[in-house]
Amino acid sequence: MPLLDVKNLETVFTTDQGIVRAVRDVSFSLSEGEALGIVGESGSGKSQTMYSVIGLLAGNGRVESGDITFDGKDISPKNFKSQKEYEDVMKDIRGNTMGMIFQDPMTFLNPVLKIGTQLTEPILNHNKISMEDAKKRAIELMTLVGIPSPEKRIEQYPFEFSGGMRQRIVIAIALANNPKLVIADEPTTALDVTIQAQVLELIDELKNKSNSAVIMISHDLGVVAKLCDKIAIMYGGKIVEFGTDKDIFYDPKHPYTEGLLGCIANPEDDDEEELHPIAGSPPDLLNPPKGCPFVDRCDKAMNVCKNYPPKEIRFSDTHVSSCWLYDERVVAK
Amino acid sequence: MSEKPILSVSHLKTYFDVTKGLFTKKQIVKAVDDVSFDIMPNETFGLVGESGCGKTTLGRTIVKLYEPTDGSITFEGQDIAKIKGAELKAYRKNMQMIFQDPYASLNPRMTVGEIIKEPMIIHNIYDTDAEREARVVELLKIVGLKPDHIRRYPAEFSGGQRQRIGIARALAVDPKFIVCDEPISALDVSIQAQVVNLLKNIQKELGLSYLFIAHDLSMVKHISDRIGVMYLGHMVEMGPGNDVYHRPLHPYTTALLSAIPIPDPDVAKAKSRIILEGEIPSPINPPAGCPFCTRCQKATERCHKEMPQPIQVGTRMVACHLYER
Repeated sequence: MPLLDVKNLETVFTTDQGIVRAVRDVSFSLSEGEALGIVGESGSGKSQTMYSVIGLLAGNGRVESGDITFDGKDISPKNFKSQKEYEDVMKDIRGNTMGMIFQDPMTFLNPVLKIGTQLTEPILNHNKISMEDAKKRAIELMTLVGIPSPEKRIEQYPFEFSGGMRQRIVIAIALANNPKLVIADEPTTALDVTIQAQVLELIDELKNKSNSAVIMISHDLGVVAKLCDKIAIMYGGKIVEFGTDKDIFYDPKHPYTEGLLGCIANPEDDDEEELHPIAGSPPDLLNPPKGCPFVDRCDKAMNVCKNYPPKEIRFSDTHVSSCWLYDERVVAK
Repeated sequence: MSEKPILSVSHLKTYFDVTKGLFTKKQIVKAVDDVSFDIMPNETFGLVGESGCGKTTLGRTIVKLYEPTDGSITFEGQDIAKIKGAELKAYRKNMQMIFQDPYASLNPRMTVGEIIKEPMIIHNIYDTDAEREARVVELLKIVGLKPDHIRRYPAEFSGGQRQRIGIARALAVDPKFIVCDEPISALDVSIQAQVVNLLKNIQKELGLSYLFIAHDLSMVKHISDRIGVMYLGHMVEMGPGNDVYHRPLHPYTTALLSAIPIPDPDVAKAKSRIILEGEIPSPINPPAGCPFCTRCQKATERCHKEMPQPIQVGTRMVACHLYER
């Protein structure tokens, strides 16, 4: 049984301009020890998908429909009698069996609390444990994520740490209760390349040691290539292609994935003449397109793409893509 | 190359006084410390390094947004390090800048037309407003926007489109040189490629020279003819892009290159990274000797004592004791 199973998730935001359909019919599942990368541009719904799962949507957002199962428990918001009941269950899960790493460590950490307080908080919240033991565990965690002299640094405040070190603290907090699933939302975007390499290496190492599953949200295919075994490509609130890292990078079956791969410069290639950008910009999810979300930017778009959403096409056990190009009704013609 | 460089920077230093209080010891940040390089006409020179290495300060000093502390900047044979007033204004007509954040660098209360027209008015380029307007329409076409965008406000545009507006504004005064300060790092991947291609095409058509500042090494290699690597205010290595990338000489360049995420799962998972321990030291108290000695795996005793001088190795300049004979 998968650790996390998301089926037909629909998330909407109510705004002054109307209803934004941020996540549209998203399904995926993840087993223990697996690393899933969710890749997409800003506004593709990749972060909102995960916020729907962990129950941290902004006030104007709500999960309209869909089923979410985590660790054998049903955590779909619609199946709870009240918001309070849902919150109680999620409070028990967040920071415990589900750890989270956010993009900007400076906004995640509380600037007026000592690192020690922030590290022991999740430990004390979820375990019957003395303050002393919690502190011991916190020092252990700091050693684990490679912070030198943790006994001394546990007494310091976030501003006394550099960007890379702060992100290590955030990772340590996420790992405090040996979570089964770690969700990392662009964990290295705010960091320099050399520090990014350190942090990615650390996440990879911890994943291999603890066998917890990892979901990595990123716009950078390079980051995902290093860490993930499965990749979901999101566009316009939908998963347009899903497959193993090799499926996606070596045999992409969706024009958007091909486009994404075409616009990154591969430094190994010296004669690369020109990049192949995707023209135009992402769709407006206030009025999501009737057919394929990518139709306006796709150079292979056909008439059918405009009016009818493509159905999911299975290429192998691991590889699915939603594109009319591969539909037998189109191929037959 | 018998051609004369369009821009020649020699022993440039930009220091900032960050002393707090009256009676404390003077504290100086050496943001750019003794940097020299040339840029040829029609060339793109890429500048890379971690945050805090001084690459943006260097770019801003060249546009004279900061006053250089020492050294010379020669643009088309004229030393501009000390110029002021009318001379500086004339220089700025030839030297423009594209900024990193397309949200912060456009005035939200001006229309696109006003934004692009402003430098033309400042530099008195056209006599009538109709002429200026015609030029704005032309520029909008060059950067891939529509003529009817002229009356709109920046808020109505996406990040990539705003960066195009920034590029049109830089082009408005027909400059010969543009300093691009991380023009793509705030943009989405699919939009980054659009902007890079646009910059390349404009360069081909108008014969511009670029100083392209970025921390994304793969993009820099793609767009640049030559690359300079900065560390803690110093230029540690400089040379043709492909050479620097495939045969890095300086240990810092090697480490920086091994940190690039490669968009290829087989290569990325097999690749062993040189993980740099620690972070960039504070420029207030830089290490004695080589700036990189605190993080370098090949550092010897000499590196901790003596600052390496730049030396020529083949096509390249490198500042490292390893290559001295």
